[in-house]
Amino acid sequence: MRWDIRYRETWLHRTNPSLKLLVMTGVFIVVLFLHNPNVLINLSIGLLLLLFIYTGYPLKYLVLFFLPFFVIFVSTASSMTLFGQGTTTWVQWGLVHITKESFLRGMHLGFRALTFALLGLIFSLTTRPVYLFYSLMQQLKLKPKYAYSFLAGVRLIPIMLEEFQTVQNALKVRGADHGGVFKKVKRYAVPLLSQSIRRAQRIAVAMEAKRFSDTTKRTFYYHIGFSRYDVVFLVSLIGLVVLSYYMATVFPYIPVTDVR
Amino acid sequence: MEYVASVEQLRLKFPGTDTLLFKDVSVSFTKGEKVLLLGPSGCGKSTLLQVLSGIIPHSLDIPMKVKHIRIPTNWGYVFQDPDSQFCMPFVDEEIAFALENIGVPREQMNERIEHLLRAVDLSVPPHTNIHTLSGGMKQRLALASVLALEPDVLFLDEPTAMLDDEGTKLIWQTVKRIAHDKTVIIVEHKIEHVLDFVDRIILFNDAGEIVADGEASIIFRTHKELIASQGIWYPGVWDDYLKQKKARADSGERQEVIHLHHFRGYRNKEAKIYVPTARVQSGEWIVVTGKNGAGKSTFLHALMRLIPTDGEYEVYGTRLEQTKQLARQIAFVFQNPEFQFVTNSVWEELAYSLRLEKRNEQEIATKVEELLKLFHLETQQEQHPYQLSMGQKRRLSVAAAIISGQKLFLLDEPTFGQDAKNTFALLELLESYREQGAAIIMVTHDEQIVKHFATRRWVIENGQLVRDEPVTQTERERGLSREMGYSLS
Repeated sequence: MRWDIRYRETWLHRTNPSLKLLVMTGVFIVVLFLHNPNVLINLSIGLLLLLFIYTGYPLKYLVLFFLPFFVIFVSTASSMTLFGQGTTTWVQWGLVHITKESFLRGMHLGFRALTFALLGLIFSLTTRPVYLFYSLMQQLKLKPKYAYSFLAGVRLIPIMLEEFQTVQNALKVRGADHGGVFKKVKRYAVPLLSQSIRRAQRIAVAMEAKRFSDTTKRTFYYHIGFSRYDVVFLVSLIGLVVLSYYMATVFPYIPVTDVR
Repeated sequence: MEYVASVEQLRLKFPGTDTLLFKDVSVSFTKGEKVLLLGPSGCGKSTLLQVLSGIIPHSLDIPMKVKHIRIPTNWGYVFQDPDSQFCMPFVDEEIAFALENIGVPREQMNERIEHLLRAVDLSVPPHTNIHTLSGGMKQRLALASVLALEPDVLFLDEPTAMLDDEGTKLIWQTVKRIAHDKTVIIVEHKIEHVLDFVDRIILFNDAGEIVADGEASIIFRTHKELIASQGIWYPGVWDDYLKQKKARADSGERQEVIHLHHFRGYRNKEAKIYVPTARVQSGEWIVVTGKNGAGKSTFLHALMRLIPTDGEYEVYGTRLEQTKQLARQIAFVFQNPEFQFVTNSVWEELAYSLRLEKRNEQEIATKVEELLKLFHLETQQEQHPYQLSMGQKRRLSVAAAIISGQKLFLLDEPTFGQDAKNTFALLELLESYREQGAAIIMVTHDEQIVKHFATRRWVIENGQLVRDEPVTQTERERGLSREMGYSLS
C-alpha cells in the first residue's frame, strides 16, 4: 500500500487511546481560554518537541504533515495582524493597518491554531483507529454498532482513493477531464458514490451475516487497559501545561499577559 | 430425513419491479448435502440463498411471504465481492471480529486464528493488511472468518466470480477439504471445479422456477443444452464453442502499429515496467499474461501515458506525448466498465467521443446506430449505463471506446467476471475488428483465450517483458498461422 508509512513505536503509541483523547481534549479547552501569549508560545514549543521527538515518524514525513498547519498558522496570524484594530499604529498602508495590539492578537490566534493542529496531529499520528475504537468500547462504553461502523468506513478510504485514481485515468482517456467544476464534480461523484454506497451496504450485510449484533455480549480481541505509559503521558502533559504557565510568569517574552 | 434448511411456497418481489421473483417456490436441503443452484443471471439464486440464511428479511428488508421456513441455526455465508465483506483492516482482526461476535474468550483467539488460516491454506502472517492480499487470498480469508463461526451449513454465493482460474481452483480445493461434513449450498457460474464436489443440482429458468432438481451427474447430462444456453462455464464449454467457431481469417496487409524500445513506466519515480524491445503489427491479437502484481495493468497505463514514461515509444511511426493524442489512436477499455461512463444514457455514451471530435449530427447518428446493433444494445439505448447487466455494461464500454475508429485496442481483462455467453460474444466482436486490421493488446488470465484467440503472447514477470512468443494454434487453425508467417523474435 502506497500510503503506508513506517514509524517507530513510542510511549505515545502505547498510551491508552481513550485517556489520550480525554487529556488532549482537556488541553484543547485550556488553550481555548488562554489569553496570555507567553503561555501559549511555551505550550506550542512543548507540543512541537513532542511531535518531532516522540511520535516516532521520520523527520521528512513530519515536516510534510506539519506544513499545511504551518500555512494555517501564518494565514490566521497575518489576517488578524494586518486588518485588526488597535491604538499603537506601526504601519498604515491603504487597507493594511498594523498596530501593536493587532500584531499581538494575530500572533496569539496563530499560536492557538497551531496548538490545536499539533494536538490533533500528535493524536492521529500515534493512535491506530482500531485501538481507539476498541478502547472507546472498553473504557467509555461506546456501542459496538458505532465503533465497527467507523472501522468499516476507515477500511473503505484506501479503496476509494484507488477508485478515484481509476476514474481520473478513465476520464482522461475518454477526453472528459475538462469542463466546469460542477460537471467535473458530477463525473467523479457519480461513479465513486455509487460504488461506495453499494459497497457499504454489502459490508453491512456481511457483518450481520457474521453474527454481528448489538444485543449479544461480545468479547474483545484487543484488551486495551492502562499501563505505566498512561502515567507518563498524564504527568508529561499536565507538566507541560504547568511548566508553560510557570515559565511565562518567570521569563516572559513579551510584557503582555492578556491580548484581549 | 431431517431437513437443515427449507422454504415452502416462497413468494418474493423486489420493490420497484412488476413481477414476482419467486412464485411459490419450495425447496429443502438435508444434512450433509452438497447442492449447486444453477440458472441464468438475474433468476434469483443469490436471493434464494439470502432467504435460506435469513439475511432476507433480517438484514435486507425485502417483502416476502412464505408458508413455512426453516433457517439453519449455525450457518456461514461467503459473498461474491472480495472487497466488500470485511470490516477490519488486518487479517487477524477480521477473523477475530467473527470470534468476538460469538463470544470466544480472548485467550483462545490467537490459536484459533492460526488454526483457521492453516485450514484455508492462507500462509501469511496473521497481522497482514487485507489490502495487500490478492482476490483469491481475500476469498480464502472470507472463508476462514466464516469458519470461525463453526457453521453446519455453508452458503457460497459465487465466491469465485471475481477470481482468475488459479484462484478459483484454490478456493474449491479449500472448500472440499474443510466442508466434507457440512451442508453446502452453492451458487456458481463457473462449475468446472464444483461438479465433482456436489451431489445435487437445482436448475432454475429465467422466471425463477425450478426446472430440474436431482442427482448432479444426471441433471448435468440431461439438461446440458439448457445449462449451455444460460451462459454457465461448464467443463467442455470451450470445446462446444470451438465446434461452431469459424476459422480465423487473415487480416490482410501488415502495418507497424507500435514500436517500443527500452521503454519504462514509472510509479512514484520507481520503474515499474520495462520493455526491452517490442513491436505490434496490425491484425495481431497480443495477450499480456503474468502473475498478479507483475505489472500488466501498469504496462497498459504506460502505453496510454497515464503514468510517467521514458524510452522510445512510437504509434504509427510518431511519438505521441499526451494521453489525449494517444486516445485518438488507441481505444482503452478499463477493467471496471462503470468507471469510464460519463453520460446518462447508452446512446449518449456512444456518441460522446464523436461529439468531442465535433462530427456532424447525421454522421454521429449513423455511427451510433451501427454500433448499437453490432453490440446488441438497441433495446437498451435509452437506459442509464448503470442500469445495464454485467455483460451489457462490458459491451457498452468496449463500443464507446472504439467508436471513433481507432485501430488499436488496449483491454484490461475485459472478460473478467463475465459469463460464457457474454465472453464468447465479446471475443467474437473483437475478432471481427482484428480481421479488419485492428491490433489488439489484451491483459487476461484465461489460458483458453490465449490458446484460441491470441496470435502472440507477451509474458510480464516482475515488471519486465520477458517473453514474446507466437501462440501455437490448434490443429484446425495452425495452417492459417503458418500462412501469416510468424517468426520467433
